[in-house]
Amino acid sequence: MIRRALLLAAMLLTVCGATRAQSPYELVTALSSDVISIQSNFTGTEIVIFGQAHDIERQPNNPSGYDLAIVVEGPPQDITTRRKGRFLGVWVNREAERFQHVPSFYAVASTIDIGAMADRTLLDELGIGLNHINLAVSGVSNVPLADRDDFRRAFIRLREEMGLYSEQETSIQFLTDTMFRTNIPLPANIPVGQYKVKSFLFHHGKLVSRTEETLAVAKIGFEQITFQLAQNYPLFYGLLAVSLAIFTGWLAGVIFRRD
Amino acid sequence: MQLYLPIAEIPVNIFVVFGMGGAVGFLSGLFGIGGGFLLTPLLIFSGIPPSVSVATVTTQVVASSASAVVTYWRRKAIDLKLATILLAGGVLGSLIGVVLFQVLQAVGQLDLVISLSYVTFLGAIGSLMLFESVRSIRRRKSGAAPKARKPGQHNWIHGLPLKVRFRRSKLYVSVIPVVGLGAVIGFLGTVLGIGGGFMMVPALIYLLRVPTSIVIGTSLFQILFTMAAATVFHAMGTKTVDIVLAMTLMIGGVIGAQFGARMGQNLRGDQLRLLLALLVLAVGLRFAVDLLLVPEDLYSIAIRKGAGA
Repeated sequence: MIRRALLLAAMLLTVCGATRAQSPYELVTALSSDVISIQSNFTGTEIVIFGQAHDIERQPNNPSGYDLAIVVEGPPQDITTRRKGRFLGVWVNREAERFQHVPSFYAVASTIDIGAMADRTLLDELGIGLNHINLAVSGVSNVPLADRDDFRRAFIRLREEMGLYSEQETSIQFLTDTMFRTNIPLPANIPVGQYKVKSFLFHHGKLVSRTEETLAVAKIGFEQITFQLAQNYPLFYGLLAVSLAIFTGWLAGVIFRRD
Repeated sequence: MQLYLPIAEIPVNIFVVFGMGGAVGFLSGLFGIGGGFLLTPLLIFSGIPPSVSVATVTTQVVASSASAVVTYWRRKAIDLKLATILLAGGVLGSLIGVVLFQVLQAVGQLDLVISLSYVTFLGAIGSLMLFESVRSIRRRKSGAAPKARKPGQHNWIHGLPLKVRFRRSKLYVSVIPVVGLGAVIGFLGTVLGIGGGFMMVPALIYLLRVPTSIVIGTSLFQILFTMAAATVFHAMGTKTVDIVLAMTLMIGGVIGAQFGARMGQNLRGDQLRLLLALLVLAVGLRFAVDLLLVPEDLYSIAIRKGAGA
């Protein structure tokens, strides 16, 4: 694995060396794959992100003041968070808060503690770290102002429990002084769509370089055909399901005929 | 072996799903029920999203009732005219059900309505069956003859207008209660993911006085088509019918049903009803506990728009 990584990184270096001018603080990254295919045997996978930061010195003990963060972000979603309360003795959903355009998947890896990397405003602006994701709420909400933070925290916690949000501090490994790699696990329940992989290089709390790549997560083969059919030709899909059911039932009735 | 479900968008262990289908199929064969009211909760409790569970079980019920309808068709134990009128009501009820399903999903009260309905209906039907079967077992033990039904015995239902003659069932009743009954069962079936046979059969016997020899075949026939309609409505409306999940459940279900049916022949009717009553009550109770106990997590999330919505 390490050897493969080194090889890939070396290849990457030659390619990048040829195409990009070498300037201080330049950051170069590459993904182990640009497409994640979901087939019937899909149980989750991981993506490896390689890269090189030019002219940074001695990592990972970080005397140089260089820090890295890599964010993998899924396509946006609108998500309603609800809180149960007792109503007539029964537990029912009461207050709800709708978060708009939040990432459907979010994983961040970094060289050091995210809070120590840069100041809060910059992290908020770049959306680095679970505490710094922009969770915009819709205007209509019946949540008291004092409880809003509880909803945010609950939202992040539930997404973490589902494996869709994660924060892995100090998970970026340096292979040499300047070459790094990290693994981001993608669980089985990841949503399909276009993902963004953003890498940030900081120097003493300032953003000095960044890159962005895309990653496609898509169903292929049978899973894709079935999904497309259900979405685009629902009547046909419904009739197909019914026909299959009637056929299966009828066949069983004939095979196991008892009279 | 893990299998990724294309609509539910999660991987499941195919043998576990197959086993659940088989176990519920066994019970449905044993008791002569569709088993939807067992299968839907089982899927929900095992982590399949409630909307996918409900919609997919409607498809599974189509398969299990089709299998049984073949037998009743051969015995000519179906009143087609009665079934067709029930069916008309059923399709109507099912359509309303899908619309309500989507509204409830949008306001976040679907799970609550499903749970409350399960508690109410399973509690009521379970208790009724329990009393009836215990009384019947006692009567058998004490040796008293059951009260025979008097011919021409009428209730308020027989006073309604728009009467139609059902030759096969030897009935002359108004279509209003027939359509109404079909609609209620179709509605509940679509919202709860159940065939509703365990409600339909007693209703046909006690309310409409359909002869017992005809009642199961007719009920199954109407359930088959109502659930077929519900599947199509769910496919078009909620888009949550998972064909892979449905097929796995179906195959497990029809096989299990054969073993169940064989075992059922060795048990007495009232004993079977007692067991079924306890099963129905247990499922209802499970939902009641969830509603009454403090939830483990007060918060929940639902995707409304974008990827995976």
